[in-house]
Amino acid sequence: MTSPFTFWDARTAEEAAALLSKKGAMALGGGVDLLGEMKEGIRAPEHIVNLRSIPGLDKIQKTDRGWRVGATALLTDIADHADLRKDLPGFAESAEAVATPQIRNQGTIGGNLAQRPRCWYYRAAEFACVKKGGKGCPAEKGENRYLAIFGDGPCHIVHPSDCAPMLVALDARLFLRGPDGARDLPIADFYELPSKNALCEFTLKPGEFIEAVEIPTALPRSTYVKIREKDSFDFAIAACAIAGKIDGDHFTDARVVLGGVAPVPWRSVTAEANLRKNTIADAVEPASNSATDGARPMSQNAWKIPMTKAAVARAIRSFLPR
Amino acid sequence: MAKRTLRVGYPGNYREIEVDSPDAEPAPWDADSKLAVVGKRSPRLEGADKVTGKAKYTADVKLQGMLVARVLRSPYARATARSIGLAKALKMPGVKAAIEVEKEARYHGQAIAAVAAETEAQAEDAVAAIEVDWAVGEHVVDVEAARKPNAPRVHGGKNPNERGGEAQNTATEEACVTALKKSHATVDITFTTPVVTHSCLESHGSVARWESDGSLTVWDSTQSIFGVRDGLARGFQLPAEKVRVVKEHMGGGFGSKLGMGQHSMIAARLAREAKAPVKLMLTRKEEHLAGGNRPSSVQRVRAGADKDGKLTCLWLQSHGTGGINGGANCAGPLMSLYNCPVRRLWHADVITNASPAAAFRAPGHVQGMFALESTMDELAGKLGLDPIEFRKRNDQNEMRQAEYGEGAKMAGWEARAHLPNSGGRHKARGLGVSASIWGGGGAPGAQARCVISRDGAVEIQCGTQDIGTGTRTIIAMIAAEELGLKPEQVLVKLGDTTLPFSHGSGGSMTAPSVTPAVRAATAAARGRVFEACAKSLKADADNLTAKGGNVVAKGGASIPWAEACSKIAGANVSEQATRAQNFRGYKDGTAGCQFAEVEVDLETGHVQVLRVVAVHDCGRVVNPLLAESQINGGIIQGLSYALLEQRILDDATGRMMNANFSDYRIAGPKEIPEISVVLFDVSNGRTNTGVMGIGEPPIVPTPAAIANAVAHAIGKRITDLPITPDKILAALGKK
Amino acid sequence: MKNGEQRIEFTLNGDKTSVTFPTFKTLLEVLREELNLTGTKHGCELGECGACAVLVDGKPVLSCLMLAVEADGTKVTTVEGLADDARLHPLQEAFADCGAAQCGYCTPGFLCTAKALLDKKPDANRREISEALAGNICRCTGYIQIFEAVEQAAAKMAVKK
Repeated sequence: MTSPFTFWDARTAEEAAALLSKKGAMALGGGVDLLGEMKEGIRAPEHIVNLRSIPGLDKIQKTDRGWRVGATALLTDIADHADLRKDLPGFAESAEAVATPQIRNQGTIGGNLAQRPRCWYYRAAEFACVKKGGKGCPAEKGENRYLAIFGDGPCHIVHPSDCAPMLVALDARLFLRGPDGARDLPIADFYELPSKNALCEFTLKPGEFIEAVEIPTALPRSTYVKIREKDSFDFAIAACAIAGKIDGDHFTDARVVLGGVAPVPWRSVTAEANLRKNTIADAVEPASNSATDGARPMSQNAWKIPMTKAAVARAIRSFLPR
Repeated sequence: MAKRTLRVGYPGNYREIEVDSPDAEPAPWDADSKLAVVGKRSPRLEGADKVTGKAKYTADVKLQGMLVARVLRSPYARATARSIGLAKALKMPGVKAAIEVEKEARYHGQAIAAVAAETEAQAEDAVAAIEVDWAVGEHVVDVEAARKPNAPRVHGGKNPNERGGEAQNTATEEACVTALKKSHATVDITFTTPVVTHSCLESHGSVARWESDGSLTVWDSTQSIFGVRDGLARGFQLPAEKVRVVKEHMGGGFGSKLGMGQHSMIAARLAREAKAPVKLMLTRKEEHLAGGNRPSSVQRVRAGADKDGKLTCLWLQSHGTGGINGGANCAGPLMSLYNCPVRRLWHADVITNASPAAAFRAPGHVQGMFALESTMDELAGKLGLDPIEFRKRNDQNEMRQAEYGEGAKMAGWEARAHLPNSGGRHKARGLGVSASIWGGGGAPGAQARCVISRDGAVEIQCGTQDIGTGTRTIIAMIAAEELGLKPEQVLVKLGDTTLPFSHGSGGSMTAPSVTPAVRAATAAARGRVFEACAKSLKADADNLTAKGGNVVAKGGASIPWAEACSKIAGANVSEQATRAQNFRGYKDGTAGCQFAEVEVDLETGHVQVLRVVAVHDCGRVVNPLLAESQINGGIIQGLSYALLEQRILDDATGRMMNANFSDYRIAGPKEIPEISVVLFDVSNGRTNTGVMGIGEPPIVPTPAAIANAVAHAIGKRITDLPITPDKILAALGKK
Repeated sequence: MKNGEQRIEFTLNGDKTSVTFPTFKTLLEVLREELNLTGTKHGCELGECGACAVLVDGKPVLSCLMLAVEADGTKVTTVEGLADDARLHPLQEAFADCGAAQCGYCTPGFLCTAKALLDKKPDANRREISEALAGNICRCTGYIQIFEAVEQAAAKMAVKK
């Protein structure tokens, strides 16, 4: 990792946006993903703009619109925040599901949402695939056991974030800051399928960065279920985020979002419908089975279909009285 | 040679045998020996250094003017460098040397060229500046593809990639067919196992320094300091004594650091070129790409048994790949564990464009035992026999027979049919068993020197190496036992080729090879102390003993150890001994067995190992704390192999895709079962200490025991390691 | 300070320290190379093994994934700073006594991570211990003796209080 970058401690959001407008500039949160990419030789920023030096950008606070979590809030602090967990249990669970304790002590929510994919071909400097501006996807005829069953290419990454599907389920809004000022958008709109933009999973204009995420508390019941191959440390093989409202034995409102199976957090409208029209107990089968409707597995990853169903079933069952 | 009568065997089953032991050696320890130090739990002597960060590993060596080296590795599985341009790299800032290593690349990650620079960053930049004109060739990494007649020839020429044939001393094909036909129950199953990497936490690496007299000093992360020394001496055409290899502490080897690695040669070549010391430590990615691996296997096993549950035939046809190397044979357990009248083996090593295999903790046995013991459970099922009962009927090793009894009790084998589980209809539990088998008797030739000074200080010098197993500590314990001292009163010098010779630390050989030499040298030096102090005690030297920190005469008179040593004429006494041949003792191998209890998540296919009961013997246990640690470690590596690890190569390019620690999964803290270790005490009368190795045995049965437990839990057998969730889901018919 | 270099001031193992280094260096590299504290180890370079874990402001982080410049103004504790003068920290004693340090290479990272756990949760049970240590890989011991050592240290520390 020898790229001769210049390091900047941003003091304000405005300053960060100005610095990030420089050619080859990248934002640094916890550094977990950025340093990894630099060491793997697939990223060589000319400027690194530290966002953690911006006072207050790591704040976790309750507002009249719900919870506002600054971009540099640590995943550990989100997971450990007792009041936030009361209002948004699924969000706390998703933060706690990330990687390992040390990485959660370093990783920020902004970095988690804007982390880059783990696809082996993307991460290996030796391959020039469509995500890196090259041609085609070597995984289509290659090693794709952990890749997407949804999304239809031309790149088949799965979005690696645990928090993103949960925040989509919770209908969170992202607050972005750029050289032209601030804007906000539903987090679901932040992510783009490869068919629209194969180079990047999210939409940030030059110089823009995530400043905060706001999560409404309108969906008081939520959970995040992550299935790993190795429990100590793994990205999701399949994950399910559910947020909704429960009245007695059934959901009156429900949003079901899958993780680890598509290039973006993958909302399953059919699972949601099945969840709403049954009691919770009766919804387990139809909702989990329908969650994979439309999945088109690759040569090695059909096993992710039962895995996804299991994640959904488990997530729904967690709302049943014990 | 002296004839000595020893009591050998294990509790409940002792017998007397007569052995010939060298006259100069102390009387061998046997079942009746009452020992004060040996056999007690004793923390590692270097524990304080390891918990404070003081312990120095090769990566921590820092020399005056030392340069850092980096290696250019082939991005192709098969390519020829038409030219390797070093000129640009040599002109880069800080670069002091650049060398060509190899033009023919036969695997992804093969070293092609290397540079040494003042800093790591400069070396990395310089490697990137090396200009290679590649002619990319055709590769083959898939084992089955490599066997085909039209496959690209990995080593060129006309030699086929498949190199194998029938083993000797086996039955004919016809005899097998007849035996199987006559059998009451038969199975025919094909098992496969993956290539796995050693994944030592400390990578391979060397620091090389040329001295002003033309000699070479190398600090190396190695299991074999003398092996590295001899390799370097050959490489540079130097007399062996002109090369000194030092290794104080090492972060894991597991077989991958036996013998000289290419990195040592590269570091020394660069150091000579740059006229400065050079450090070369491999990165994690390089470690996966070129640090060694356990070969894969495809094993078709046909086996039969008669109505009485006796094996009638064991037939194995296997092949596997160790990349550009051979070494994939894994028939050891099948050929040796059970009594069977008809046995036949055919094996082929398949050469592929993948990185070379290296010895890996119980080479061959881990793969082979998985296939054999899975087969035994399937046969037991067909015969309607309890798996342990079936094993016992075919196993003549009385130690293992007894070990099954102890293990079954602890594992709750009787309740096997009614295991509870934690998740209702979504979970299933199973309990499985596997035998173990290994040698571990050590080898002659290891040397040790004991130096006792006038002030009572004791130093043991032995050119072995402590690879983390606790060799330092057990050497001190053996010497302390002989001298009536405490282990911490013995200074152990090892890990340096200027010390008396010892073997590489592989094959579970270190403890059984080194301890007899240490004991003999110490006893001889003690004899010299006795001679020196006998007069003060008004006794014959022959009537003195050393115990409790004193030298004690038969009549009861005693003087403190230090006082006894003060009678030494001159500065010290020094005695050296060489480890003798093994005596014809009780048993020449180790047995052992393990039980694994697993819980399978029927929705996700996830396997959690809940408990492992491990019963192992290793002759005399010098230090139970260390022996248990070896067993725990072997079990976890076996678990990791059974459930998680596999090297994945991209077929189209031959590149390794998961050369890190997130995509190459190694068991972590949350994968760990409860482990109960039973050290089965055996007095084997094979050497003057009766110590056997325990490094390898505990990994041998674990994957098979887990696989058998999974089969018991879900009623389906997974024959392909690792047992990942996709395979369980497929076996359960989940779509 | 040359172009491309940084200078930071921080508290390292209790001592005010200032150090100058090339901007791209990680905290791990600066600790080992500029400050000669080689107790903290390289394991994987990608935050996947925990061998490089140190405490920054009391929390275990992976020093291979942290630019050294980010340590400016922080309190960093490495394995070399766990002992109180010559007295080993109870965790260090327990790791040595229980045989939790086998080859010892992963030990510094385990110790720093375990210290943060016991500081926060002195009565951690086996499940919490394995949870807290989930980011650390050990290839030798089988973890059992590491768990036992953390439990033994916790018990010792509870008696002291």
